[in-house]
Amino acid sequence: MGTFIQLVIDGLSSGSIYAALALAIVLVNQATGLINFAQGGMAVLSAYIAWQLTAWSVPLLLAILISIAASFVIGAIVERFLIRKFEGGDPDTAVVVTIGLLTLITGICAWIWSYNNKLFPSLFPLETISIAGAVVSVRSIGTILAIVAIMVLLQLLFLGTKLGLALRAVAINPQSAAFSGMPVGRLLMVGWGLAASLGAVAGALVAPQLTLTPNMMDSALVYALAAVIIGGLTSPIGVVIAAWLIGVLENLAAVYVPLIGHDLKIAVPFIMIFVVLIVRPQGLFGRKAVVRV
Amino acid sequence: MSTATAVMRKPWVRWAVIAIVVVLAIVLPLVLPEFANTTLARIGVFAVAVLGLNVVMGYTGQVSLGQIFFLGLGAYVTAYGVQQDWNIVLVFVLACLIPAVVGLLVALAAARLGGLAIAMVTIALPIVGVPLAKRLSEFTGGSQGLSARFTAAPEWTGLYDDQWQLYIVLLIAGISFLLTRNLVRGKYGRAFAIVKGNEAVAGSMGISPYRYKVLAFTVASLLGGVSGFLYMVVIQYTSPETLSFGHSITLLASMVIGGAGSILGSLLGGAYYVLTPQLTNLIDPGLTAVLQGAILLIVLFVLPGGLVSLPRLFRRRRGREQGGGAAAAKAAASATAVPSTSAPDGADVTTHPPTESEERRQDT
Amino acid sequence: MITHRTKMRAVSVVAGLGIVALLATGCARGGDSGSPTESGGAAAASPGITDDTITLGITTPLSGATAGPGTCTVAGITAYFGAKNADGGVTFGDGKTRKVEIKALDDAYDPQKAAANFDQLKDSVFAMTAGLGTPTNRAWREAAIADEVPQALIMTGDPIFSDQKQSPWSLGFVPIYQNEGEAFGKLLASSPDEHKVAILSQNDDYGQGYVEGFKKGIEGADNIQVVKELTYEATDTNVDAQLTELAGSGADVFFNAMSITPLVISSLQKTQELGWLPSWFLPSNTSSPSAILEPGGATAFPGVYTVAFAQSAAAPTFADSEDGKAFLAGLKEYANYPDPPAFPHCVWSYQVGATLDQVFQKMTEPTRADFMKELRSIQDYVAPLMLDGSSVDTTEDGQPAVSTVQVQKYNGKGYAPAQNWG
Repeated sequence: MGTFIQLVIDGLSSGSIYAALALAIVLVNQATGLINFAQGGMAVLSAYIAWQLTAWSVPLLLAILISIAASFVIGAIVERFLIRKFEGGDPDTAVVVTIGLLTLITGICAWIWSYNNKLFPSLFPLETISIAGAVVSVRSIGTILAIVAIMVLLQLLFLGTKLGLALRAVAINPQSAAFSGMPVGRLLMVGWGLAASLGAVAGALVAPQLTLTPNMMDSALVYALAAVIIGGLTSPIGVVIAAWLIGVLENLAAVYVPLIGHDLKIAVPFIMIFVVLIVRPQGLFGRKAVVRV
Repeated sequence: MSTATAVMRKPWVRWAVIAIVVVLAIVLPLVLPEFANTTLARIGVFAVAVLGLNVVMGYTGQVSLGQIFFLGLGAYVTAYGVQQDWNIVLVFVLACLIPAVVGLLVALAAARLGGLAIAMVTIALPIVGVPLAKRLSEFTGGSQGLSARFTAAPEWTGLYDDQWQLYIVLLIAGISFLLTRNLVRGKYGRAFAIVKGNEAVAGSMGISPYRYKVLAFTVASLLGGVSGFLYMVVIQYTSPETLSFGHSITLLASMVIGGAGSILGSLLGGAYYVLTPQLTNLIDPGLTAVLQGAILLIVLFVLPGGLVSLPRLFRRRRGREQGGGAAAAKAAASATAVPSTSAPDGADVTTHPPTESEERRQDT
Repeated sequence: MITHRTKMRAVSVVAGLGIVALLATGCARGGDSGSPTESGGAAAASPGITDDTITLGITTPLSGATAGPGTCTVAGITAYFGAKNADGGVTFGDGKTRKVEIKALDDAYDPQKAAANFDQLKDSVFAMTAGLGTPTNRAWREAAIADEVPQALIMTGDPIFSDQKQSPWSLGFVPIYQNEGEAFGKLLASSPDEHKVAILSQNDDYGQGYVEGFKKGIEGADNIQVVKELTYEATDTNVDAQLTELAGSGADVFFNAMSITPLVISSLQKTQELGWLPSWFLPSNTSSPSAILEPGGATAFPGVYTVAFAQSAAAPTFADSEDGKAFLAGLKEYANYPDPPAFPHCVWSYQVGATLDQVFQKMTEPTRADFMKELRSIQDYVAPLMLDGSSVDTTEDGQPAVSTVQVQKYNGKGYAPAQNWG
């Protein structure tokens, strides 16, 4: 029983890593209608900026805040000068542009900071506490709580604020939004800037555990995409729950289902997706998309 | 209407071009240095892979991020067959059929579920494929891979190995391109286009989206298998890395850069896949990631429709110079004709330059 | 109806074809290395070597997840020969002094690109060397045999490269995985106490080789029992599930064959969190004190062992030694590598350079065949930055250039030799 609880808690912890990235992907999608493959890369860049500041003896929290602000600016600039051109056109082209952006950002991080692993200081003390016979680090709990907080904020943003409504309007129908007098371009920039800031927070939460390298978020990207699809492209709560489910079920399947074992446990998210999509094609929490013919 | 297309329409010109291409295909391998031949052969391999991806993504509009899985499967089938000393024609047939059957089964299951399901199932293929290839090590050689050298030039040809390999690639790739071209120019191609544009309309016209999606996916996997066979012809080694997910993403990028929904674009996509790493290595081996990302972004910035839309770019440039009136009228007409919303199913059936409308979009 | 215009068009098409055909046959390709040919005769020089220079080629991952060690495999050898060239070059056995040039290409750990890089380099380099990775080196191993190009001193512990019958033109540099595992197994077997061992290995030939060697080392020792064996994938984000399972096995020794640095660090931390404090074994390429053991908090464990044949660039005494200073300065000046390396491959690549230096000094003919002959004749050569007791010996068939390793134990700052357990 102890093993079971430990696996569940560890699953929540690793699921939070996927959730952090997935939330940023959801934000960009809600704000601009694109799937941003480069979200993880941008989070890594933010983490490097924060790390560089701590290497220059800036206190950790301040460094992270500065990197969040810097990421907002970078995200807005990227949207304005790079992504803007592709937003109305073929969605496949836009996705490939984000793929190119990912390669470029990874390369830039490697160029500036090399491939040597950098140690990212942890926001939380390195202690553990015991819950129901299982051991969990304070760092994991902190990450989980932070993710929940971000998820709540995002949900409030989209459903409760004018800004959120404006962002979604611009993404769904830019022409109508423009006719209604909304500053379409500025809203798009804000959307990407917010997503980049969210990525900065995710990077800072995750880097202490994953060790800061240019390719740090590559493995998490696939899990994040799976969480986004299972949870529904439109629902922050949905993707966080989906990410947790993925983390937990993966661990359980690896240990308790010998056929899957530890090498094929990566099949678990996809089996989940298949099952969910058969039952609910819009994702667990997503809204049904009505397409006019 | 420019004179170039008018010239191309004349039948005798088309025959002359075909004749010149055939002569080049026969003569070039004999005169080019070895490295050029192996590079051309590898371009052929990945051009066929991108062609398959184009059939299912460019022409039929279904997202597939698993094309590399079928290439890897075809390569493994080939390697295994060669190691077991089976007849090479049988090996080729198996390398085409087995991926096609797998693709058919996958499509039968996923096509009913909508675009998202197909996308995720295709992502699953290479991601689960790699550990699976390692697990089935009696067939796949595990993580150390399988080496299968079977394309040494036979004595009676008097050719060098690389020339022989290039001929095989040219022959098989040429036939694949020809057959696919006929497929997408005929009634199947038109059906694909309708399914891509609007599935409800397709259904109301009596064209079953499900059936044509399955067909497109099967053709794509078959072409993937062919490219896997050609991969073994040229590289003569395969390992789990052959079908890793990162390559699928690069194939997608190559397809878009070459030109989605275009036969010539698939060839250009294959060239992009092979030549870009070599080009960036020439510039600076330590900066390949930065350079590849930059190249991709620059090409798409200048040519959002892909490399295959280059003539269109020149035509538009010349059109602008030749007179504001006619050009402005033409541009205004196409701006209102092209929908500029970001609706999820927004990709058009015909590929016309999307940039014109965007240049007129209001910026803040 | 054939008009004058049609006839003119037909003539021009045929003329065009004729010109193309003429050009083609006119510049038909002469003899080249497309098929197995003579390897240069008695004294005709192989490609890539002149009277003043010799060129070496490297295909290795310089981008992607393995770019950290990959960059090191180029940096070390570049640093070594950079310093040598500055001193005038290497004096070969045939009396000529030549400068050593290095052409390195990125293959992003993709076997297809590695094979392409080999095709690109083989006519302009004398020999290929120092590349990282098993599948990438395997991809062009047989092509190297067919084209008779040396695949010398590469960074992989796969035994096939050191088997002269299977790979007459290849030779590995680093010890094969089995040797490293076996060395630790023997040390453990020599312990007077009983031990239970838990194993976590990478799911490929690397991990399997280590485990195979370890099991051979403990063969027959009835005080050692393997209680649990698990694997992980190189692409995993964490190995928490495996560690939880292994911790529950009650083992007091943890045999670890992981090559991914971030996973080793997080494993060190996680095992402590779980309250499981076994003695650890780490492979030679993921045991750096400063980059891995310190962040992982390794002093919490009763013992962390590893195997090594080279000094660790992260050890505190390293930067004070003469060889260490020369190494670090060379990296900075010639290889564009200003920080102290976090991967051992920088030191290993430097030693590859030194070993090649020895081979060059013995070569009497500027041919690849002679190079391979002398490559296999080095004995008892102590390369710079080697541990006391280690040496290069290329004469043993089936073994790479370095075959003996020493077991070391972490002492809180660096490593010290461990003769006995405990």
